[in-house]
Parts: sequence; C-alpha cells; structure tokens
Amino acid sequence: MSAFERIFTPENMQFMVKGAGYSLLVAICALAGGSVLGLLAAMARMGKNKIARAIANVYVEVIRGTPMMLQILLLYLGGPVITRTLFHYVFTPNPILVGTIAIAINSGAYSTELFRSAIQSVDKGQWEAAKTIGLTHKQTLREIILPQAFKRILPPYINEFIVLIKDSSLLSTIGAAELLQRADVLGAKFYNYLLPLLFATVAYLVMTLTISYFARRLERRLAESD
Amino acid sequence: MIKAVHLSKHFGNVKAVDDVSLHIHKGEVVCIIGPSGSGKSTLIRCLHGLEVPDSGELYVNDKLVDFSKDTTKDLAHIGFVFQLFNLFPHKTVLENLTLGPVKAGGVPQKQAEETAIKLLTRVGLAEKANDYPASLSGGQKQRVAIARALCQSPEVILFDEPTSALDPEMIGEVLNVMKELADEGMTLAVVTHEMGFARKVADRVIFVDGGKIVEEGTPDQIFDAPQSDRLKLFLSQVIHM
Ligand SMILES: Nc1ncnc2c1ncn2[C@@H]1O[C@H](COP(=O)(O)OP(=O)(O)O)[C@@H](O)[C@H]1O
Ligand SMILES: [Mg+2]
Repeated sequence: MSAFERIFTPENMQFMVKGAGYSLLVAICALAGGSVLGLLAAMARMGKNKIARAIANVYVEVIRGTPMMLQILLLYLGGPVITRTLFHYVFTPNPILVGTIAIAINSGAYSTELFRSAIQSVDKGQWEAAKTIGLTHKQTLREIILPQAFKRILPPYINEFIVLIKDSSLLSTIGAAELLQRADVLGAKFYNYLLPLLFATVAYLVMTLTISYFARRLERRLAESD
Repeated sequence: MIKAVHLSKHFGNVKAVDDVSLHIHKGEVVCIIGPSGSGKSTLIRCLHGLEVPDSGELYVNDKLVDFSKDTTKDLAHIGFVFQLFNLFPHKTVLENLTLGPVKAGGVPQKQAEETAIKLLTRVGLAEKANDYPASLSGGQKQRVAIARALCQSPEVILFDEPTSALDPEMIGEVLNVMKELADEGMTLAVVTHEMGFARKVADRVIFVDGGKIVEEGTPDQIFDAPQSDRLKLFLSQVIHM
C-alpha cells in the first residue's frame, strides 16, 4: 500500500475535513465577536466619555502591539492561573473555546479602526438630517450611519475573515482540533507530514479562494446599486 | 414662534454670529440675505441646534431651549432643508419621508406612508415614491427634502440656500413649491440668494453682514430704499441683471 492510500482513508479524510470545519467555525465566531468588540471600541473612541475612550485606546494599542500567539497563550495558560489565584477556581480550559475568544479579542482591536474610519466617512450632513427629523443618536447610527458604513467596510471586512481563517491555525499550538493540528496528528501517526500538510494547504486554499470569489461578486453587486 | 435673543457663535476667532436677536412670527416668511461668509448658515443652523450657540437664548413657542441637553425632541417640529439635500441614499424616497414620523414620532407605518404619499403628491413626486435618491435630479431631490421636512408636521421650516446647489433650470420648481407653502400660511425662514423670491414672497427681509443683522424690513424697504452703505453695496453686487 502506498503512503497515499494509507493516509487518505475515508476516516482520515473525514477527520481532516472536520478539522477544516472547526477552522471555519473559529473564524466565523471570532469575526462575529471581534465585530461586536470593534464596534464598541470604535464608538468609545469617537464618544465623549473620557474613561471609555482611554479603555478603548489601551485595548487597541496593547493588542496591536503584541503577538497574537502571546495573546492566545496568555488567555489559555494564564487564564486558569488567574482564576485559581483569585477565586480558588481550578479548571481546564477548552482550547477551541478559549482560543476563539483570544482571536476575537485580537480581531476586535483591528476592526476598531475599520469601523471608526467607515463611520467617520459617512457625510456629516447625514447626522444633521437625522437630527432634524427627530432621530436619537442610537437611531441615527442604526438606521442611517451603520448601513452606509457597512457598504464601505465590506471589502476590508471580508479580508479580515480570510485573515482569521489563517490565524485560526495558531490554535494548533494549544491543541485545538482544527485543520492544522489534525494534519499534525496524522503526520505523527503515519510518519509522513508532507501529505497531511499538503491536504491542509488545499483545504485552506479552497476556503479562502471561495470566500474571495463571492466577495468580489458581492462587491460588484453593491457597486451597481450606487 | 422662534425667538433668538442675543445669540452668538464663533469658530476660533471668527465671530460667525455676533449678538443676533431675531423673532420669527407664526405665518411669516422671513428671508435672510447677505454676502458669502456673513454667518447666514450659522445663524439658521443655530435655530435648529445644528450649531450650539456660545451665548444667548433660543425660545421655541416661548419655551427656552436647553442646549446643555439633547435638543432633538424640543426642536422636533421645526423642519430643516439643506443646501445639499442630505437625503438618505440607502432608503427609498418613501422611506426617507416615513423614517422620522415612525421612529421618532411613533406614528404607525401605514399612516405615515399615507401622509408621505400625500406630501409627495403635493410636491409633484408621488410617482417617485419607490425610487432611490440617486435616480432623482437635483430639483427633485430638494422637493423630496421639503416633503420630508413637511412630514414632521413642522410649525416652521428653515431653509439654508435651498437652490444654491441646483442647475438654473431646476431652481424654479423648488421655489414654486416654497411659494405654495408660503401661500398656504406655513412659517418659513429662508437663507437665499434668490432676490426675486425674497422680493415676491417674503414678509420681511433681513440683511446680515459680519455676523450681525445690519438692516431689516419689508422687501420694498430693503430692495427699494436701502439705508446702510453695506446693504447698498451688496445689492449693487447681486442685482446687476
Ligand atoms: N464649522 C465651521 N468651522 C470653522 N469656521 C466656520 C464653520 N462654519 C462657518 N465658519 C465660518 O463662520 C463664518 C460664517 O460662515 P457661514 O455661516 O457659513 O456664512 P454664510 O452662510 O453666510 O456664507 C465664515 O467665516 C466661516 O468661515
Ligand atoms: Mg451658507
């Protein structure tokens, strides 16, 4: 039996595809969580509250100024130490869950600027018109500003999604069962790293290229409605 | 209706509005004229809280407007029409009109739509209800903006150079709509360079220069018997047609 046949059995293929599914899931959840954090931080940075602004600034600077790997390790390995010391609470963190949270926190810091510049690029007259028809600040954001900012944000936002799919591979180092970690597991099992890693390569490419293909189509559609 | 008392507003060391007092009465049409940079926009924007005055008081129906708080609700029944329309590009014409009444006024969607269609008919654009602003001409956009202001059931509508961004052939259609509103007894305050409109439609004309009201009176007084040198100079510059 060739190495190819030994490694790419139906069970192993399923094992890898499931890993790719986890990678995608991590990226989607991190993108969603990061969007919420990014939007909040963007609002805080543009708002009047000095304390909120300071917290948002520290958040963005700390996250952007340190490696993502470090952030993942800090949360995964450092988190339990903190809960043990402070609350005498001992637990073994779920690597996928904690890793996803770490990536979401990281992504949020990067999307803060994305959101802020998109919101600020909406014409000031839109805020003024909304005010003259009686809309509150919140209603104006929801009804008028964010929908227009969204259109501008879409291309970099989808790029962020692709970045997150790739970043999710960092979770292999804390043993989260995503695509790269599973390639690693198979490689060790069959004393052949090349084939599982090539499989992972193709799987990442299928995910990222599919997303950018649909992103380009969506962009073209949106451009038409202008 | 709207009373401004000793209103001032400066930007850096520019006194855009300098101790202006002004009273707009119910049913009155007031036109504000003056050279570019004289503070006309800043003055009319202060009347809707789009600029917060540094000092002075603003009364709407004898109620003092508290600028230290959000003024949106206090000023909800004042309409505003911008030079650049400021329609919401991602909403249809109808949605542009119903948004305020539904979201801020608590009017049921269906009723808001009926009112909106009525008002669109009044400005001659009922057939555009489901179009997006991008597909309209400048004159049509401004008529939609006027209809949007009317949806607030405004007691007064403020205009900041509503025809200055329009191609000449579209100015008439917008001025006609405004004249109809005036004829129906709507209270209007209009910053404008259209001296013909001011002369025909205004009850009172206010000449602003250097952030101050330099002269005010009936159109006849202002255009036929200007007193101050500055107004005479201004008129000689704009009325050379
Ligand atoms: N947002 C602003 N920031 C700084 N200066 C401003 C601002 N708005 C207006 N000004 C200044 O205030 C003065 C009056 O402006 P404006 O009210 O727009 O005059 P007008 O509408 O009569 O042309 C001008 O000198 C202008 O440059
Ligand atoms: Mg102006």
